[in-house]
Amino acid sequence: MFAEVLFIAFAALSVLGAMGLILFRHPMKGAMSLIVTMISLAGLYALLSAKLIFVLQLIVYAGAIMSLILFIIMFLNIQDNDLPVEEGRFLYLAGGIAVIIPIASFLIKIVNGLPDSQVTIVGNGFGGVKEVGLILFQDWLLPFEIVSLLLLVALIGAVVLAGKRRLVK
Amino acid sequence: MIHDYLILSVILFCLGILGVITRRNVFTVFMSIELMLNAANLAFIVFSRVHESMDGHVLAMMVMAVAAAEAALALAVVILLHKHKGKLDTNVFSLLKG
Amino acid sequence: MEHSANYLGLIPLLPLTGALVIGLLHMMTCTGKPLPEKLYSTLACIGPLLSFFMALVVFFHLRDMAPEDRFLSHIAFTWFAIGDLHVDMGFLADPLSALMLIFVSFIGSLIHIYSIGYMAGDENYGKFFAYLNLFLGSMLILVLGNGPVVMFVGWEGVGLCSYLLISFYTKDTDNVLAGNKAFIVNRIGDLGFVLGMSFLFWAIGSGGFDYLSLKENTHLLTPGIGFAVCLLLFVGACGKSAQIPLYVWLPDAMAGPTPVSALIHAATMVTAGVYMVARFSFIYAHVPAAGTIVAWVGILTALLSAIFGMFQKDIKKILAYSTVSQLGYMFAGVGLAAYSAGIFHVFTHAFFKALLFLGAGSVIYALHHQQDIWKMGGLKKKMPTTYATMLIGALALAGCPPFSGFFSKDEILFSALASGHPGIWFIGVTVAGMTAYYTFRMIFLVFHGKPRDQEAYDHAHEPPPVMTVPLIILAAGAAFAGVLNLPGIFGGHMSVSHWLAPSLVEHHPHASVWVELFAMLASIAAVVVGITIAYKKFSQGAEEPVFTGFAKFGYHKFYVDEIYNAVFVQPYKAIGSLISRIFEPNVTDIHVKLSTWIYKKCGKGFKVLQVGYVRVYAIYMVIGLSLMSFFLSQSIN
Repeated sequence: MFAEVLFIAFAALSVLGAMGLILFRHPMKGAMSLIVTMISLAGLYALLSAKLIFVLQLIVYAGAIMSLILFIIMFLNIQDNDLPVEEGRFLYLAGGIAVIIPIASFLIKIVNGLPDSQVTIVGNGFGGVKEVGLILFQDWLLPFEIVSLLLLVALIGAVVLAGKRRLVK
Repeated sequence: MIHDYLILSVILFCLGILGVITRRNVFTVFMSIELMLNAANLAFIVFSRVHESMDGHVLAMMVMAVAAAEAALALAVVILLHKHKGKLDTNVFSLLKG
Repeated sequence: MEHSANYLGLIPLLPLTGALVIGLLHMMTCTGKPLPEKLYSTLACIGPLLSFFMALVVFFHLRDMAPEDRFLSHIAFTWFAIGDLHVDMGFLADPLSALMLIFVSFIGSLIHIYSIGYMAGDENYGKFFAYLNLFLGSMLILVLGNGPVVMFVGWEGVGLCSYLLISFYTKDTDNVLAGNKAFIVNRIGDLGFVLGMSFLFWAIGSGGFDYLSLKENTHLLTPGIGFAVCLLLFVGACGKSAQIPLYVWLPDAMAGPTPVSALIHAATMVTAGVYMVARFSFIYAHVPAAGTIVAWVGILTALLSAIFGMFQKDIKKILAYSTVSQLGYMFAGVGLAAYSAGIFHVFTHAFFKALLFLGAGSVIYALHHQQDIWKMGGLKKKMPTTYATMLIGALALAGCPPFSGFFSKDEILFSALASGHPGIWFIGVTVAGMTAYYTFRMIFLVFHGKPRDQEAYDHAHEPPPVMTVPLIILAAGAAFAGVLNLPGIFGGHMSVSHWLAPSLVEHHPHASVWVELFAMLASIAAVVVGITIAYKKFSQGAEEPVFTGFAKFGYHKFYVDEIYNAVFVQPYKAIGSLISRIFEPNVTDIHVKLSTWIYKKCGKGFKVLQVGYVRVYAIYMVIGLSLMSFFLSQSIN
């Protein structure tokens, strides 16, 4: 009962945050509402007993990545007149929703087609650092290494792209 | 129960698409993409929970890593573009136009 | 009974590899500093010389076998197999191809060596040797092929190389035109060859399409189809070996460098037709009527070109017409089923014609590309080696005993008489006299008398040894090659004829010794008359005459080129231009134009969608996804 209330609360918060993201004109406000979504998602992960992912969601996503985005937004010092003029924004949104609805209904149809098993109680160890770590370094070692390579490439790329002292208008 | 989670995931994903296709602000578009990644992560975790196997958790971690990499690069590109054009409007970047 | 010999494939492969290597080297360095000539010439000579040694190996290998077993074959791989048609890339060496192999590679090698001196200093030195190697390799494929299809590969290869080499000096339009002419005329002949080959396959090809299987199945050939096959193949031979009516390309082929002329005339190209007819002797023996036509065409070609040869003033053109005329003899020989005589004439002719061309090349080289015999004279003292060797060549060409040409030509004339064709014999003897006349007209004008162009004469000198040594070797061949087939009347054994016997289907006509003696004396008399007239007229410094009447007609080659031009080339061009001006733009191109128009319009229409904003492309994608989802959700319920 308690879990269901929490689920409804987190779900409502995350949807609200996502809507805020696409409705706010200034990216700063959008980023703030995205953080709300991230944190409520973290709550949902906790409800699903994914302890490690819950922590990572808070630290990496809501913490590191979002603060990076916020930092850049502030770094660029965006004024209101820097922002693109989006006059027909709501018209666009209406059109977008019309296009999205078939996709959404299709996906929901598929979801409804899945068997709705009741969640059983899982053991203490599920989703813990040790257990996930074991799987990560045993079954998923090669993908893990490849992802580390990817991060390295991204690092170098970012340095190369942003590091150049180019013309500043 | 599972359906609720998955439907939430679908809703978040579609909101992400909506953000990408309707907004012209580079940051908003970028964050919408992050939103879509999060929606996918949610689905991973849900299925992982249903099947009581932790592979989904590992995949979610990978997605986070990819998202981090993407954030680093995308933000670098945004900075460059801002330096170049002084604007955040995606419609300014229309070099593809023949 | 066949024996396999793996090294057969290497014989053509060696010069072809040389061509590839030299060609690549030349291509890589043609824009920068050229590689040293020594490198090219060494590379170029290795292939032909090795091929020659391997040809000798083949010869001795064959000689050690019993005469009826003399077959070496090697199948390199299956080239293609479609339905009944199964064609192997295979090589076959029997006495006929071994003989051809030896003299082709031998004379080819000598010409390669000679070219080292002749081409020195040319900017396209590497290209020349690459083509020369390719030429020789193609000819060796032609000779060694185990079936008509493989032969055709070499056939086309020599055609291509002759085109490349005739128009070698590409700066002059005339040379390129001469190359085109050779190629196009050869193409007409090739059409005949392809048609003949197709008929042959259609008639008896189902049991295998190589010489041995065809030979076994010859009896299935109906006379009508056999006749058609023989004539069509002969059209091919006409193109390649310059017979009426397709001989016109050979005199123009003189535009190429002189060693090329020697190679075309002596070793590689023009002999291919004769070889082909001899190779298909089993079919020609089946249809004697076709053979008679071949013989008559050959002897008439001999007559016609001997007439032309008497009035030419370009030293190489004289030799060219003499080649056409000698080829006529060869066809007369093979047409009358005296295949070994014809092939023997090919063999001896290769020696003395290569010698004469290389000698002419020396003269031209010494006189700085002067080819008009009316501007030469008295070179005897300046170029003694060239004079001596060319004299031997001329005696052999004229058919003066005991030089090689006498025996081979006499053999052909004798078989004409013995097989009951006195007309052919008579024309042959006349042509022999005419040949002696124009050959010695050339010799006397070039080497005897007084110099007509003093300045050129003063600068003339004997060419370097790399050019004279091949001349001497060839002169020895021209003088003594006839001994190989000495007829019984001189105490010989007809060794070449006996050697060739297993490869050919021929019946030797029997005639009395008196007929043989009569034929011999008649041709000697004709030769003596010809030389005497030439001596009287030209040995003491004659001046260039003004041709009138028949001589003018002959000098202009009976206006055959002009007639061909008016009857074939111009109407063809007119039709072509008519098609290109009226038919093509209005009829065939209309579809093309229409479709491009439609595409252009569509492109303009779709351009609207290509707005250039990434976001819009994303919208397109989502719309597509949305439509897909819509239809998919219809299907699941």
